[in-house]
Amino acid sequence: MKDLENELRKALERREPPPGFAKQVLARIKPAATPTPGWRGALFAFFRWPRLGWTAALVAACLLVTLGAVHYRRAQQERAEGEAAKKQVIEALHLASRKLNVTWRKVQETDRRPPRT
Amino acid sequence: MNTATVERMEDALARAAAREPAAFGDIVREYQAMVFSMAYHFFHDQSLAEETAQEVFLRLYQNLGRIKSPAHLMLWLRQVTHRRCIDQARRMPLLPLLALDDAPEPAVGPGRSDPLLSERLRRMVASLPEDARAVVILRYQEDLELAEIAEILEIPINTVKSRLQRSLVVLRAKVTSALEMSTHERPRE
Repeated sequence: MKDLENELRKALERREPPPGFAKQVLARIKPAATPTPGWRGALFAFFRWPRLGWTAALVAACLLVTLGAVHYRRAQQERAEGEAAKKQVIEALHLASRKLNVTWRKVQETDRRPPRT
Repeated sequence: MNTATVERMEDALARAAAREPAAFGDIVREYQAMVFSMAYHFFHDQSLAEETAQEVFLRLYQNLGRIKSPAHLMLWLRQVTHRRCIDQARRMPLLPLLALDDAPEPAVGPGRSDPLLSERLRRMVASLPEDARAVVILRYQEDLELAEIAEILEIPINTVKSRLQRSLVVLRAKVTSALEMSTHERPRE
């Protein structure tokens, strides 16, 4: 058993990787080695063109959509109020017309009646 | 590892943690033989071993902040190399590995050293079951005690002992049968 163990030690001796191994590892870590920016860096990076332009356009578009929605809602409300007012006026006119008709009929009946002696 | 190497590695670790590429290069050069050999003896395949060893060092670079000392680094590297080897072996179930029973017999005569014996033994080791292979590699490549192997593989020491004994029995049977066969086949002088 001891012979086998010695043979295994010889067979499994450490060996060096191919030349340039360390360089290959370092080349693979270089893209990952870029330091992560701190919060200031991230802030400056955020306000850098073209990201700022796209953000401004997005904000403007959101603002326009919001303003449009508010304006449309207000117009709808005004139209509804106008319709209600118109309905009330027409109803009032109908009422007044009915009253006038009644009054007119009474006046005519009074005129047709013979005078008292 | 001698005191000078330990001090050099402590310094390299501190500088590498501060993202100094040259220091990380020193660490790679110091441990590349260990990591590469573990993977090489696991797969018996140079390109797979190279790829696995590179991945281990890339992972080390990402985890440099967690390494506390050169001794911790050594343990970490051995553990991660072992895990990467197991993962790689499971990802590639059709690796051209020899089953132990199909391994070519070493043509070796009694008392004579066969230059091919080491190569045949390496193939036999690479064809052992993954768990047993790791134990044999750590024991005979890294010359570790059973307790150290148990710590790296995170298994009980008795399991290490039994895996090692079983592997040696299998390997010994193969080598002995090869020796006998070779003795019978030798022409009479």
